[in-house]
Amino acid sequence: MASNSGLMAKAGNKSVRVGADGTAWIEGYRCEDCGAVMAVPTMACRACASRVPPAPYRSAQTGKLYTWSIVHRSYPGVAVPFVSAIVDLDGGLSFKGTLKGVAPEALKAGLPVRLVFDDAGGTSDADGSPYVGFHFVAGDAQ
Amino acid sequence: MSDAYIVGAGMIPFGRYPDRTYFQLAADATLMALDDCGLSIKDVGAVYASSTFNAASMLGQKMMQQIGQTGVQIVNVSNACASGATAVREAYVAIKSGLYDVVLAVGAEKNPRGMLAGSPVDGPPPEGLFGSVSMPALFAEAGMVHANAYGTTLAQFAQVAVKNHHHATMNPKAAYRKETPLEEVMASEMIAYPLTKLMCSANVDGAAALIMVSEKKARELGLGRAVRLRGSALTSDPFEPRNPDMLDPNSVTRLAVAQAYEMAGMGPEDLDLVELHDCFATAEILHYENLGLCGEGEAGRFIDSGATALGGSIPVNVSGGLLSKGHPIGATGVANMVEIIDQLRGEAGARQVAGARIGLTHVLGFGVGAAAGVHIFEKA
Repeated sequence: MASNSGLMAKAGNKSVRVGADGTAWIEGYRCEDCGAVMAVPTMACRACASRVPPAPYRSAQTGKLYTWSIVHRSYPGVAVPFVSAIVDLDGGLSFKGTLKGVAPEALKAGLPVRLVFDDAGGTSDADGSPYVGFHFVAGDAQ
Repeated sequence: MSDAYIVGAGMIPFGRYPDRTYFQLAADATLMALDDCGLSIKDVGAVYASSTFNAASMLGQKMMQQIGQTGVQIVNVSNACASGATAVREAYVAIKSGLYDVVLAVGAEKNPRGMLAGSPVDGPPPEGLFGSVSMPALFAEAGMVHANAYGTTLAQFAQVAVKNHHHATMNPKAAYRKETPLEEVMASEMIAYPLTKLMCSANVDGAAALIMVSEKKARELGLGRAVRLRGSALTSDPFEPRNPDMLDPNSVTRLAVAQAYEMAGMGPEDLDLVELHDCFATAEILHYENLGLCGEGEAGRFIDSGATALGGSIPVNVSGGLLSKGHPIGATGVANMVEIIDQLRGEAGARQVAGARIGLTHVLGFGVGAAAGVHIFEKA
């Protein structure tokens, strides 16, 4: 995901990783002792305190809707309404993201969703590097 | 070990104080608490001062500069919305240790205006791109977990606001003292479904203070209006697989309440009233179950039954709660206790819970982690 300026895209979120070839993925961390997964690297396991740092793995991009809110009022300059969703990804990681293209009456716990990488709203850093973000859409096809 | 007693309680009316500083508000509440028990600041052996936004500026010292610099130990604490309970918890530890006979816990805040945000992050602003970090959205999502599991309705969540706003009409110190019928709550501006504006806590300034003493000092002062602190617990959030993307108000609260019940040697069936952290209407529903006031999944029916209204079997937030009394973050936890103490003394006026002897307070703090404080009080 290089920009028109040729600058490499940066991760727009703590869990997004961008490879040298521009491909993006979600990185999770799994404790080899207790199996707990977490979204950020830690010095020891957050769940069992094992001193073996949880090992990175590439997360699935499919999952199920756990809970949500339809946000109608937010901070100045933020376009509303949008659906703020918590999604349980297959393999154990849970993420918050904006769920797009699902009518409010179709929202239900367990709805199959998938994660789609995007341009993080078209924002860039001070040097002009674009960001890679993500959102969710309905469906379980990769 | 000595028991700990509250002998003085003070709270300023919650609202906006554009012409007062946060440390003047703290001083106002402290002087009220001292006058309440006939003590002087010179009698106080240690000070625990709470503010979420101003603890780092040495709130306690600034307050003492207003009312008398006696040179005692001052600890300034910040622990999100559990800051006030944290100050009281530290005061309790100080009395129980036997190091002090008289200590002060005070909380004060001048809240920032507007919707309270999470911490700044690197990268693009997350709001709307990666869901929402606003507190209404976080508590809406937590409420929807309950709705999805148990069928809790928008009207049941809204009833919390109806009830607490009604209670506030009887509290002259509440910031908003207006009846809000169900239709009005449900028709007010939708902030984050299922939370309308009237289901979100009132953003105000405030201060509250408690004078806590040892048993020896309490007997010396007379136990007539004293209230005994039977249980005190402060917890942090244990690991939950969805954290930190999904902040969990439940597990940290359940840990704290279990500890407080055990320490007090009692359970929810012994309580006469509760002041819990209704920062949003959804939160009160969740906390009915977290505190054991009703069974799992029953909270929607519990509010419908009227059990938690004044006159019901276990009145909750008769002060008006954070929804209408107001939520000056660092003062909130102390203010909840002032209400319980007024009630146990039988001095709560029109909103008095008849014959109240035992009351519980609960606060929940959210930032990048969580904290919960639970305290149980008994008329001495």
